[in-house]
Amino acid sequence: MNKPSLWERYLTKEIGIEFKACLYFFALLFFYCVYRLCTGFKVAEIWHMAEMIFLTYIVGYIQVFLLWNFDESDELGKKEILGISICTMIYTAVSYFGNWFDKNIYVTAGFAGYVIFLYVCVYFVYKCRRKIDDKILNYDLELFKTRSEKEE
Amino acid sequence: MRYIVNQIQDGEDELILNYRQMNSEVEAAIAFMEKNQKKLIGKVDGERVVFLPEDILYIEKVDDRTFAYTEDNEIQLDMSLYAIELLLNDERYFRCSKSMIVNINKVKRLKSLSSNRIDATLINGEHVMISRTYASCFRKLLRGE
Repeated sequence: MNKPSLWERYLTKEIGIEFKACLYFFALLFFYCVYRLCTGFKVAEIWHMAEMIFLTYIVGYIQVFLLWNFDESDELGKKEILGISICTMIYTAVSYFGNWFDKNIYVTAGFAGYVIFLYVCVYFVYKCRRKIDDKILNYDLELFKTRSEKEE
Repeated sequence: MRYIVNQIQDGEDELILNYRQMNSEVEAAIAFMEKNQKKLIGKVDGERVVFLPEDILYIEKVDDRTFAYTEDNEIQLDMSLYAIELLLNDERYFRCSKSMIVNINKVKRLKSLSSNRIDATLINGEHVMISRTYASCFRKLLRGE
């Protein structure tokens, strides 16, 4: 069987990062829209949304290439907590200086908590997915062994 | 040709063929005995040993030397990993990383890890990592695709 080419491996990684960007963008947008609604606005700033999508894309790269892809890790250890902290700080700082929440310190603090909560949720979602994958893998393994015995 | 079948209580199963002259019957019997009897030769503590590929748990390349690990032995082989892969030519022996071949029939349990890697627990409790480069091929192989 041929192993995947360099291009295929790059593409897999890139798709993973884009998937992350979409996931986190959607979550940030949700918080932002709730804030906007609560402050009496029924529209979202396009500029803020553009900042969010670019930021989630950049942070996706940072997560994958510099911070051990911590939200998909096997255990939630020191490295992962450091990764969560760094990314939360980046999001919080950009939200503050980008004026997403009108520089309201309490909302910004709430946003930081929301990002942490989001990372923890994503970590558990991936963990859950791997558990299901374990079952599928072990089932396929048993089928393979049975096939192999029959062929013998 | 007459044949004798004995059931034994211990020792290895063996087939002994005594013949005076080679003929088609003897040839057929030898062909049957040799079928699936691919054997490998290696060294354990400097001594030559002959063993069956089925006994291998995994084969690993360490510092340009190749070792086959069975449940009881660590056997040094005089072949490259690639040459062994070609020699075995069997989907049960899967190249799971650049430096390792694993015998899938000796895998007890699989665990999905992050970054699309797979941890394989062998029947002796050892863990072998199937790298992400090979993991998708491994999944396809298990599914029979």
